[in-house]
Amino acid sequence: MLEQIIKNYLVNTKGTDPTLLEDPALQVSALNLDSLDMVEMLFEIEDRCGFQLEDPTRYPKMSFREMLADIEAAIRQHNNGELPEFSLEESK
Amino acid sequence: MGAVSPLGADLPTSFAQALAGHCAVGAATPDIAKWLPNVLLAQAAADPASLLGGKHAGLDRASQFALVAANEALASANFAPAPADSRRVGVYVGIGFGGAHTVDGLYERFQSAVQSEGKRNPVVVHPLSVPRMMANAPAAAISMSYGLHGASHTYSVACASSAVAIGEAFRAIRDGYLDAAVVVGCEAMLTPGSLMAWNALRVMAKPHADDPSRSCRPFSQDRSGFVLGEGGAAIVLESETRAAARGQSALAELCGYGSSSDAAHLTSPSSAEQINAMQQALDDAGLRAEDIQYLNAHGTATDAGDVTETESIRGVFGAAASQLAISSTKAMHGHLIGASGILEFALSVMAMNSGSLPPTATLDQADPRCDLDFIPQTARHGCDVRAIMSNSFAFGGSNVSLVARRYPA
Repeated sequence: MLEQIIKNYLVNTKGTDPTLLEDPALQVSALNLDSLDMVEMLFEIEDRCGFQLEDPTRYPKMSFREMLADIEAAIRQHNNGELPEFSLEESK
Repeated sequence: MGAVSPLGADLPTSFAQALAGHCAVGAATPDIAKWLPNVLLAQAAADPASLLGGKHAGLDRASQFALVAANEALASANFAPAPADSRRVGVYVGIGFGGAHTVDGLYERFQSAVQSEGKRNPVVVHPLSVPRMMANAPAAAISMSYGLHGASHTYSVACASSAVAIGEAFRAIRDGYLDAAVVVGCEAMLTPGSLMAWNALRVMAKPHADDPSRSCRPFSQDRSGFVLGEGGAAIVLESETRAAARGQSALAELCGYGSSSDAAHLTSPSSAEQINAMQQALDDAGLRAEDIQYLNAHGTATDAGDVTETESIRGVFGAAASQLAISSTKAMHGHLIGASGILEFALSVMAMNSGSLPPTATLDQADPRCDLDFIPQTARHGCDVRAIMSNSFAFGGSNVSLVARRYPA
C-alpha cells in the first residue's frame, strides 16, 4: 500500500510515466522532483502515518526501492515494529 | 479584461447581469449558516477550479480566481504567453486576505485531529500550505503561467487593493519601468472563520424581508450593510506604443489615479481625503469634473460610507454633480473586497463603451441625505459616456480613485 500511495502521487500529481516506476533499478533522482515536490510526496505518507519523516534531502541519493524501505522502517519504528494498513484515500 | 464574479463566470456575462439588475446574493453555505444563520453571501457564479486544469487544483481559491480572470483578460487582449519582452511585462495584484480557504482548512484539520483521540497528529499539515496562503500566491501563479519576468507586486489595501494595483501598474508603465502589466484583483474568504470575524464588525447586511437577494441596498434609506462576495477580475494595461506595435486596439485609456489616507479612523470614512483622492485622479487625467459622465461609487451600503461618499462627490463635482450618473454595482455583485476595485473599474469601462449604465438595483427608498442620481433600480441605456471614475475606499482609511476615458478620445 505504501508503494501504491507514492506511485499514485507521482502519476496523478506529477505526471510521472507509470512504466518508469516499474524499473527495479529506478533512482529517486530520476524522478526529477524538486524539494517542494519531495515534501509534497512525503506528505502523502505523513498524512496517513501521523508523523513527519526526517530529512527529505537524503532520499534523492537513494534508489526508489531504498526510499520505500527507509520510509517503511521509519513507520515501523513509530508503531512498535508494525506496519499499519493505510487507506489509498486521502484524509482531509 | 476578464472576471469571474457572483454575476457570471466571465466579464461579458457579469456586465449583462449587472445591467439586468440581477442580484447575486443568497443564503450562506451550510458550514457558515449553522453558526451564522442570517449571514448572506455573494458566491461566485462558477467554481474557479472547474475552469482550470488539474495542475491548478492545489492552489488556494483566491489564486484560482486570479488565474481564471487573467486567462480571460489575456485571451481577449490577444496576449500570448512568454512574450519576447517578458522582462517589460509585470503582474500587479490586489487582494485583501490571502489564503483564507487554506488557513480555514488548516484550523479545521487541526481541530479535527485534536478531537480524533490520538488517531491523527494535529501538527502534520500539508507542506504547501505556506505557498498556497501567502498573499502573493496569485501573482506567482500568473507570472509562472505566462512567463512574465517584470515586477510582480501584490497590494493588500483592504477594499482598495486592486484599485491600488491598477494605479501603481499605470504609474510603472507611464514612468517607463514597464511596457505592460497584467493587473488582477481576487478575493476568496467566504469561510466560517472569516465570516465570523466580519459578522463581529456589525457591517453585514440583514436579509431583506421581501427578497433576500436584494439585501445589499446602497444609498437606500433601509440599508443595513454589505454582503461579502468572492471572485476575481483582471485587465491588461499596455503602453500605447506597445499596443500599436502589435496592432492591438485598446478598450479605453486609463488616465488618472489618485490616492490618499484618512489618517483618522480604522473604519469610519473621511470626506476630506476622499475628495483629495478623487481630485488627484481628475488632475492626473487633465480632466474637469464635468468631463466625467459616469461614476462607479464605492457604495457599500453602510450609513457612514454612503453619506460620506455622497458628500465627497458633491465636494469634487460641485454643480456638475447634478449631471453625473452614479451607481453602486455592489447592490448586485456584493463586496468583493480586494477584487472590488478592479471589477467595478472593468464594469465602468464596459458601461462607457456600450453607453449602458448598470443600476443600483436595490435602490427603491432613496436616503434624502444621498440626493444624487444613483441610477435607481434599472439600467440606463443610450448614454454618451466619454470618461468614467471609479472609487474604492478601504478600511484603514485608504482612498483610491481611478479615471478612464474613451480611446481614441
